[in-house]
Order: sequence, then structure tokens, then C-alpha cells
Amino acid sequence: MWLDSVKTGIKKGLETIWLLSKTIVPVYILVTVLNHTPVIGWITALFKPLMRVFNLPGEAAIVLVIGNILDTYSAVGAIKAMQLTVKEITTLSIMISISHSLLVETAVIKKLGFKVSHALITRIGLAIIFGIIVGRVGALI
Amino acid sequence: MINVLKEAITGSFESIFLISIIVFPLMVILQIAKDYKFLDRISNFFRFLARFFGMSEDSTLPLLVGTTFGIVYGAGVIIQSSKEGNISQRDMFLVSVFLIVCHAIIEDTLIFVAVGANGYILAGSRILAAVVITLLLSKRIRAGQKQLGIRTEEKRF
Repeated sequence: MWLDSVKTGIKKGLETIWLLSKTIVPVYILVTVLNHTPVIGWITALFKPLMRVFNLPGEAAIVLVIGNILDTYSAVGAIKAMQLTVKEITTLSIMISISHSLLVETAVIKKLGFKVSHALITRIGLAIIFGIIVGRVGALI
Repeated sequence: MINVLKEAITGSFESIFLISIIVFPLMVILQIAKDYKFLDRISNFFRFLARFFGMSEDSTLPLLVGTTFGIVYGAGVIIQSSKEGNISQRDMFLVSVFLIVCHAIIEDTLIFVAVGANGYILAGSRILAAVVITLLLSKRIRAGQKQLGIRTEEKRF
């Protein structure tokens, strides 16, 4: 019984790691390659004024986009591939942990009879509010 | 180009290694907690959470499972409970609101801590966000239940 739990746990761990590797590796490679192309500069320019609200560098927009479309693990991969301070990583982490994997999780939430628009507004809205608060407070410290 | 690819591949394997260090022990601990019914005991202990939002005590387990294990497990428990008929539509709605903002809190917090985030601020903000929105809605639904369109949920199961 005891060993069975450990075995199941390890099996689930392996499954999770495999699942994660499948998303993280391509996204990490994509982000690293993007980092060496002008594309990242364009996204930076586009989102720079918006990211300033959260006290984040413009390139952090990529992390938010990846986290919201894909998942937290991909966002973590993107964060790792960038040079960010602890405060910036914390702000980004809060925003992504509140609003992430919108494609997959909204599908699950819909099954509970929750309106898709309500779910999206709640998550993205709260992520923005807490991003502003933590980003601003972090800058004061 | 070869340098870029090399950087990408070594970097991605490093992140997977870091995440593995967290994921393996986490999965084993959660599995043991599940198999040995620790979860049932814990949910008894956390009954005050459901009361805080003015929900029935049966809402505690989906709330806890979702918050610790993830939204998919939480949704599974909610659907199961609603089939057995011991969780009201209002409570289901409120548990869902809480969980869309705050779920898999251990896993989500640890993976960000692994890349350098402050875990206390991260987990604290997220729980605060979920508590505030759930509390606001729990007050609002008591006043006018029909406004939130939760009537349609019945047919989905």
C-alpha cells in the first residue's frame, strides 16, 4: 500500500515531466531563438508602454502572452531565458499564476457551467489589478 | 545559429531538471496524502473556509482539492458532488470562482520559486485575489441569485 502510493506518485511525476518537457522544450527554444531575432524588439516596442504600468521591461510581455496562451511551465521557461530581477519575476509570477493556460482551463471551467466571458474577465482583470499593485509596491521597496 | 540552438537546448534541459526536482517529491507526497485519506481529515479541519463564504460544508472538499491539486481535480470533485446533489448551484458557482483564480497553489508557487520569484508574496496575492472576488460575489448572489445566470448549470450534468 505504502509502496503503491510512492510508485503511483513516481509514475505521475514521470507523466507530468514528460507532459511538461513537450511544452517547455519547444517554447524555450522558440524564446531563445526569438531573443536573437528582431521579433522580440517588435513585441517589446508594442507592449513597452503597457508593461510600464506593472514596472516590467517591455520584453516581459512575451512571458505574459506565452503564459496566458500556453501554460505556467512555458512561462517559466520564458522567464528562465530572460534576464529579470527578483521583483520583476515576482510580479510576472503573480500575474501568470492568476491568469494562465486560458485555452485549456477555460474549457474545464465551461464544464462547470461557468460563462467563458465571465471567467476570462475575472482572471485577466484580477491579474492586471494585482500586477499593478505588486509592481508599484515592489518599486517603492 | 548553432550557438543559439546549443544555448536553447542546454537551457531547456536545465529548466526541466530544476522542475523535476520539485515535481517528483510533490507527486509522491500528494499521492500518499490522497491514498491515506489525509485529505478527508484535512477537509474536516478546513470547514471554516466554506463557512467564511457562506457555503455549505460539502463545498470544502472541492475547494481544497482544487486549491492543492489543480483545477481539473477540483472540477472533477465539484461535478461528482453536484451529481450526488449535496452541493447547491450557488456554492458550485462560488467554488468555481475561487478556483479559477486560485488553484494548484503548491505546484504553481513552487515552479515560480524555482526561477526566483518570492513565494510568500506570490501565494499571498493569489489567495487574497481569490478570497476578495469570492467574498464579493457571495454577497451579491445572496441579494439577487437570478442575475448571474447560474440557472442553466443544472442541465449540463
